Amino acid sequence: MTHILFTISTAFMLGLTGLTFHRTHLLSALLCLEGMMLSLFIALAMWSTQNDMMIFSSSPLLLLALSACEAGLGLSLLVATSRTHGSDHLQNLNLLQC
Amino acid sequence: MSPYILFVMLSSLGLGTTLTFTSSHWLLAWMGLEINTLAIIPLMTNKHHPRAVEAATKYFLTQAAAAAILLFASIYNAWYSGQWFIQDMSSPVSTLMTLAIAIKLGIAPMHFWLPEVMQGISISTGLILVTWQKLAPLALLMQISHNIKPELLIILGLMSTIIGGWGGLNQTQIRKIMAYSSIAHLGWIISILHFMPALAMINLFIYLIMTITMFMTFNLLNSPTINTLAMNWSKSPILAATSALALLSLGGLPPLTGFMPKWLIIQELTNQELAPTATLLALSALLSLFFYLRLSYSLSLTIMPNTHPQTLNWNMKTTTPLPLSLMMMMTLTMLPITPTIISLF
Repeated sequence: MTHILFTISTAFMLGLTGLTFHRTHLLSALLCLEGMMLSLFIALAMWSTQNDMMIFSSSPLLLLALSACEAGLGLSLLVATSRTHGSDHLQNLNLLQC
Repeated sequence: MSPYILFVMLSSLGLGTTLTFTSSHWLLAWMGLEINTLAIIPLMTNKHHPRAVEAATKYFLTQAAAAAILLFASIYNAWYSGQWFIQDMSSPVSTLMTLAIAIKLGIAPMHFWLPEVMQGISISTGLILVTWQKLAPLALLMQISHNIKPELLIILGLMSTIIGGWGGLNQTQIRKIMAYSSIAHLGWIISILHFMPALAMINLFIYLIMTITMFMTFNLLNSPTINTLAMNWSKSPILAATSALALLSLGGLPPLTGFMPKWLIIQELTNQELAPTATLLALSALLSLFFYLRLSYSLSLTIMPNTHPQTLNWNMKTTTPLPLSLMMMMTLTMLPITPTIISLF
């Protein structure tokens, strides 16, 4: 495993661990998701430069566009939950459990 | 919701799945899944209600995390093998990929989001969630199925059928029961996936027909809980009788359509010398059958304790829509044409 791939995998796994175990605020979950997507962005960019595949050099931007859409959707859901549930604590999302 | 916005959302829902179907490149397949997730969230929060917003938030978090893991696995694969084709996946990465797709589908150890999301949204959006949204991840899973270890798929499938049957026993809400039924059926689909993908396709096809029938029935009868089902024989007696049979078809009783995929899957698993797995699958179908039987009991065999006994609402005219009657006939009577259906796939 190269150093670059190790660094990127560690960043991704840290983001995933944060999303899984740190469940206080919705905002921190969204930040962890965004960190995961950014590590994937760096991974794609490094892959296309390392392998000299210039035809893939536009793919990190495509990924960034879709992850920006996803972040926008997440923020709008953050606004919606804080309007309906009073705060952005994930503890409050318990209406549908049984 | 304005019809124009609804049109945009529905068409991008369709186009996202089509993009995933037609792509042979992992990045494009991931984009299709993302477009799907982005398009269904406004449909879920159509009625601005705390439960709908909560369901949309839970759906968004799980789907976004699963899509990120899927893309991570494919980049990892590309870093090692230098290519992005879906069909050539190396084995250790395909395990991670299978788990990511299992989160997206709601297969058993990762199934906890599905009943809660189903409970928060309307029945028609729930129909999209358990039929159309399953197609794109299942298409990906079928394309990599020859590289996945069969033990992993069998363990996931067994856990899904058992937990799907067990979880539904304690529920009184129809949408949660249908969510657990979806988990159990997906367990049947993926336990045969490695050995015979065509059979998994047949099972998926039958599952889609039966689920569409049941959701259209519940949408027409407008009943969210088991208790309200008891009123329905006075609204539409024929529909009450046939939908009780359709529930038994969903459980897999012999003269009905739902028996066919279970029969073929058990036969194929026995041919692959996996008779204990087939036995466990058949026994876990009994758990599902119990709650289907409870639904059909209160749908067709009970009478609401009213003060004055009336048989039919004479002034209420219920018309059964044509698609529902078509799907209902397919749900009930397709077992005799099993050879034709096998030759189709």
